[in-house]
Amino acid sequence: MGDNNIGKVLEREGFKYNFTAAASDTSAQDEVIKEQDRLLPIANVGRIMKQILPPNAKISKEAKETMQECVSEFISFVTGEASDKCHKEKRKTVNGDDICWALATLGFDDYSEPLKRYLHKYREFEGERANQNKGNNNTYENNIANI
Amino acid sequence: MEDSIGGSSSNDNNIIKEQDRLLPIANVGRLMKQILPQNAKISKEAKETMQECVSEFISFVTSEASEKCRKERRKTVNGDDICWALATLGFDDYAEPMRRKSRTKIQEASTNQNDLC
Repeated sequence: MGDNNIGKVLEREGFKYNFTAAASDTSAQDEVIKEQDRLLPIANVGRIMKQILPPNAKISKEAKETMQECVSEFISFVTGEASDKCHKEKRKTVNGDDICWALATLGFDDYSEPLKRYLHKYREFEGERANQNKGNNNTYENNIANI
Repeated sequence: MEDSIGGSSSNDNNIIKEQDRLLPIANVGRLMKQILPQNAKISKEAKETMQECVSEFISFVTSEASEKCRKERRKTVNGDDICWALATLGFDDYAEPMRRKSRTKIQEASTNQNDLC
């Protein structure tokens, strides 16, 4: 996992995306992105890390901050690849399949397959929920008609 | 990576709440949006897929770092352990810049400390 493909997109000091300027907004190139927009909440990151560790283990603030930075890069890396695919296919909306494709392309094959299964289940669930809502709406409309 | 997406807890009998297992979708979406062109959109499904993925990534790296600490009989996972785990798992391109960032932060902290003295 995480093979040589990972190196192909990482350009700035090993990373492609420079967060000091909004990558998508040319007019805001000079604006510095706020720390809270650039990083995910440290408390949440720490909580996920804690779940993996033995109960008596501790995590330093530095470890959480390192992981924070890392996760931001990971998201940017994968999103960038998915975005390129959408751009080439002249589509405006990035969907779950694009994320799965990006993961596979970048060498995260171990992530890609289970996520495809997750997506399949997710869509089934969403479909069922939509049908239920439709059913509820019909019942509501019938009740209104009967009044 | 296991089939069930989402990190395992230290106690398998505990069902982890969704908000403890995943990072906030608004923050994930905001980060993704910064990378996309201005006119692009992100589906809810894409954000949720990324949410799952990020949790798995954190769990994966932390697990490796934790194992190193266990072998070395240390209780605290630090930044170097995370960098080591990244390199071990094949994320070499991530590990080096992280090490440099970590060193810079430590230097800045010690400089600030000296200024206070």
